[in-house]
Amino acid sequence: MSAWSFYIGTLLIYFAVDALSAISLNLQFGYAGVVNFGYIVFQAAGAYAAAVVVLGKSAGPGSFQQYVFGAHLPFPLDLVVATLAGALLSLAVGLFSLRRMRRDYQAAMLLIVSLIALQVVSADVPLFNGANGLTGVGWPLGQIFGLSAPASPWVYAAWAVGITIVVYVGVVWLSRSPWGRSLRAMRDHEDAASAMGLNITALRLQVFVIGGAIAGLSGGLLVEYIGAWSPGAWGYAETFVVFTAIFVGGVGNYKGVLLGTLLVPIIFLELPRFLPSIGYPGLTDSLQWVAIGLAWMLCLLFRPRGIIPERRARARRLAATVLEPSPIKEGA
Amino acid sequence: MGPEASAATPPFPMPAGSAPILEVSEVAVGYGGVRAVDGVSLGISPGEVLGVIGPNGAGKSSLLGAIGGQVRASRGRVQLGDRDVTRMMPHQRARLGLMRTFQTTSEFSRMTVFENLVTSAEGNSGASLAAVVLHPHRTAVREREVAERAWSVLERFEMTHTADLYGRELSGGQRRLVEIMRCLMREPRVLLLDEPMVGVAPHLTGKLIDDLRGVAREGLGILIVEHALEVVHRLCDRVVVMAFGKVIAAGAFEEVVKDPQVQSAYLS
Repeated sequence: MSAWSFYIGTLLIYFAVDALSAISLNLQFGYAGVVNFGYIVFQAAGAYAAAVVVLGKSAGPGSFQQYVFGAHLPFPLDLVVATLAGALLSLAVGLFSLRRMRRDYQAAMLLIVSLIALQVVSADVPLFNGANGLTGVGWPLGQIFGLSAPASPWVYAAWAVGITIVVYVGVVWLSRSPWGRSLRAMRDHEDAASAMGLNITALRLQVFVIGGAIAGLSGGLLVEYIGAWSPGAWGYAETFVVFTAIFVGGVGNYKGVLLGTLLVPIIFLELPRFLPSIGYPGLTDSLQWVAIGLAWMLCLLFRPRGIIPERRARARRLAATVLEPSPIKEGA
Repeated sequence: MGPEASAATPPFPMPAGSAPILEVSEVAVGYGGVRAVDGVSLGISPGEVLGVIGPNGAGKSSLLGAIGGQVRASRGRVQLGDRDVTRMMPHQRARLGLMRTFQTTSEFSRMTVFENLVTSAEGNSGASLAAVVLHPHRTAVREREVAERAWSVLERFEMTHTADLYGRELSGGQRRLVEIMRCLMREPRVLLLDEPMVGVAPHLTGKLIDDLRGVAREGLGILIVEHALEVVHRLCDRVVVMAFGKVIAAGAFEEVVKDPQVQSAYLS
């Protein structure tokens, strides 16, 4: 396999994982207005959970890596555990951070959760091997067919893209349902939505847990491909890459979000690897973050709704799916 | 039943013959050390329009908040029909038929007018995650009913041409109408309106008054906070005057405006 083939396959896997993140964060932020500044923590939860149930029993202190809950679970339990880890952590965090308080306070709280989680996992070595992280994570599904993830990136890419398509279809369907409409009402005016009979606390928690589950799944998919996971992979800034993708692509529009995913994490973060390195070592990496920040700011200034803005649900179209014969078709 | 004199709170005279649909007893609301509402009692019968007037800072909006559940009442009781709703969340009160509009317009700005209406009607178990996932067919049937209803409400208020406009693309007056239409999507028992005429063009005010009277005739109770006294005069069956968190007068509009206490409250 050529280096190019490996590289493109890997990019495709990253795109699938990033798309999962962007889709679920768009459901939370673009639809429901939940500013989840701690998003990456839930992806990390999925990645760690998948890692420890794939790695087998930990050899304990003194070995080159130690962790909790070591097990050898077969496919698909590895990804189920990853998804559940994201969902359960979301439920726990959501129960205290999404109470009735202002959205900016919630955002601040979630950012703090993200910082605390990173510190705890880095410092508490017996948990997930601290700052060194976990390595040697395999791919249970591939093992059934005698495949290893790094050796067959295109197979893995097909698998990851397949999962992403299924999640995409499900999330878009949910978003267009009456439930999704309630989320947008909550986003636009919480007090009014609540005065219309919508249970704001329940809606917010539901969308938080669903988003967290998808985040966990994306973490599981990522760790089984790259085989390793450490605090270096989930700094709070990673959350802002996903936010930038959503803002650039179009808040509240899933096609826009996919485009943003292509543009921001893939082009901004991956393409510079091919550019001739300039200045001192590490400068290019730092400039990537500057580029991400600039992209976000320019978007907010000049195109706040993104490249493909949220689509207007016209009454005729809205009703056409449910009304037959439709008074709206005749009346409008 | 006549008004009984009481220094603290004049008990509100109920119209004879019908049980109140909304009953507010001795409700108080405090913000820190400030008593915004201080022991207010009132009642509304089905089909009745009750006006609450008073100078700025009298506690009118806080009273509405305490009734709607947006503001916590430190004491007192709010009863809707035979249900005590004092400790209920706003959405629980709404599901029982207690709907409200807000002082600053509260349209869903990035949703179309049609969606604004549809969302309101679905603000109950019909839009729940479980219903959507487990009963897609039932949800679709309900969507159909709700869409038909939304269209008929738009027709009633001659707003069909705005169906596809976003909330944020409407004029101030149209936003007020959307709020009222949204409430009517759910067949409320009690409607709380916080200054619904602000921003409404003068030539539409008369129509809105007629519409609200028509809605009330269908048997729901309306409580309206309004500064425009000519609107209150034309629309309301009875009026409550508030000042410094208390009810200082109550009765027919012509009577209360002659009350020396009311005149001094408005002049002070």
